[in-house]
Amino acid sequence: MKSMEVRLNLNGEAKRWTIAPGDLLLDVLRREGYFGVKRGCESGECGACTVLLNGQPINSCLMFAAQAEGADVLTIEGVAHGDTLDLLQEAFLDYGAVQCGFCTPAMILNAKALLDRKPHPSEEEVREALAGTYCRCTGYRKPVEAVLAAARGAAR
Amino acid sequence: MFDAVEAFYRPGTVREALRLLQDGKNRARVVAGGTDLVVEGDRSIRFLIDITHAGLSYIRRRGKACVIGATTSMAELEGSPVIRALAHGILARAAATCGSVQIRNRATLGGNLANGSPAADSAAPLLVLDAEVVLADARGRRKIPLAAFYSGPRKTAAGKALLIEVAIPAPPRGGRWSFQKLGRTESDISVVNAAAGLQLDSQGRVKWARIALGAVAPTPIRAANAEKLLVGRKVDESALAEVCNEVGRQVRPITDVRASAEYRRETVRVLVRRALEECAAGTGCSL
Repeated sequence: MKSMEVRLNLNGEAKRWTIAPGDLLLDVLRREGYFGVKRGCESGECGACTVLLNGQPINSCLMFAAQAEGADVLTIEGVAHGDTLDLLQEAFLDYGAVQCGFCTPAMILNAKALLDRKPHPSEEEVREALAGTYCRCTGYRKPVEAVLAAARGAAR
Repeated sequence: MFDAVEAFYRPGTVREALRLLQDGKNRARVVAGGTDLVVEGDRSIRFLIDITHAGLSYIRRRGKACVIGATTSMAELEGSPVIRALAHGILARAAATCGSVQIRNRATLGGNLANGSPAADSAAPLLVLDAEVVLADARGRRKIPLAAFYSGPRKTAAGKALLIEVAIPAPPRGGRWSFQKLGRTESDISVVNAAAGLQLDSQGRVKWARIALGAVAPTPIRAANAEKLLVGRKVDESALAEVCNEVGRQVRPITDVRASAEYRRETVRVLVRRALEECAAGTGCSL
């Protein structure tokens, strides 16, 4: 199989990876040990594979790894500040917004992209931002509350 | 899944993209957002040509007209002041329904059209706006009406050419517009969609009418007979009933996983009625 190199900034670190030209970003991230990027439906429906590409949430299952050349990519592994959790992560814990946890990285990354762009969103805007991430435990209310609490800067 | 891919190219110009497309014969595919191409999962692809660096991401106003580069994302359309101000924002509204936030950040206008889906959300608004598409190949560029671009389900007139731009002429003065979509959820693919544009005279009679429909025929279509029925009349109950009956006659829906043909035939009448009522009320399109 042919191979190529991709250079990207992942969670603030410069990376240079050897990939196959047909590799999807999801597969490369998991191969490199970023298991917070979940393999769900692999067709852009469930959102579990969400990462931030230059600050914007995208489904890594629908993007070729080669398309990340030169980009900033953020996975859940890069959200905490050293040993300190991000306010959003704290809020998800405080509000019990985690059930099985499979969709949690995607929920937090989508919420982070929203709050970075709009620090004080309405509930409707939060729901819209989370709508592309399916929670099969159907726990939607608490993530919405957690995001709104994080936006208020309030941990409970 | 794409194990046969030998090379991934990122051309910086349309010219280079076209050369790569030609060199790759039938084994090369153009990719932009990837939200349709990856799902389609064609294992025979050997060369991928990413056109998102070829200078095709732009929205430019030219007087009252505007041009949109093919790799402009749905999120960019949705957020663009130019597109939100154009024709009561019907194209922005359609872009905002085109999948989840994650999809809209990647999916492109050119891809939505070139994929050839009869359910493409951007097609109906662009048809009522009399949009044209610019195709580029080794011989040069040509501009054709969007209505002539579609030739069948997942078939377009592009051939070996690349769709590089969508051109929207100046809409009629005082136009009233609506986009309506029915999906299983807010961000799902359309079960049926419809767009309408009306220009009324000072007596409230229709001077100019456009009605376009999605997911009820092999391609997105204009409901030309229904449009003709409206011209010269007020948008009253009898006109609406006739127009919706005509729409029901003209469509050729299919049954698939999302809805039955009968359901689509019935709901397209409802969506066209809502679209025309919204146009007549002149309230514009809720974004």
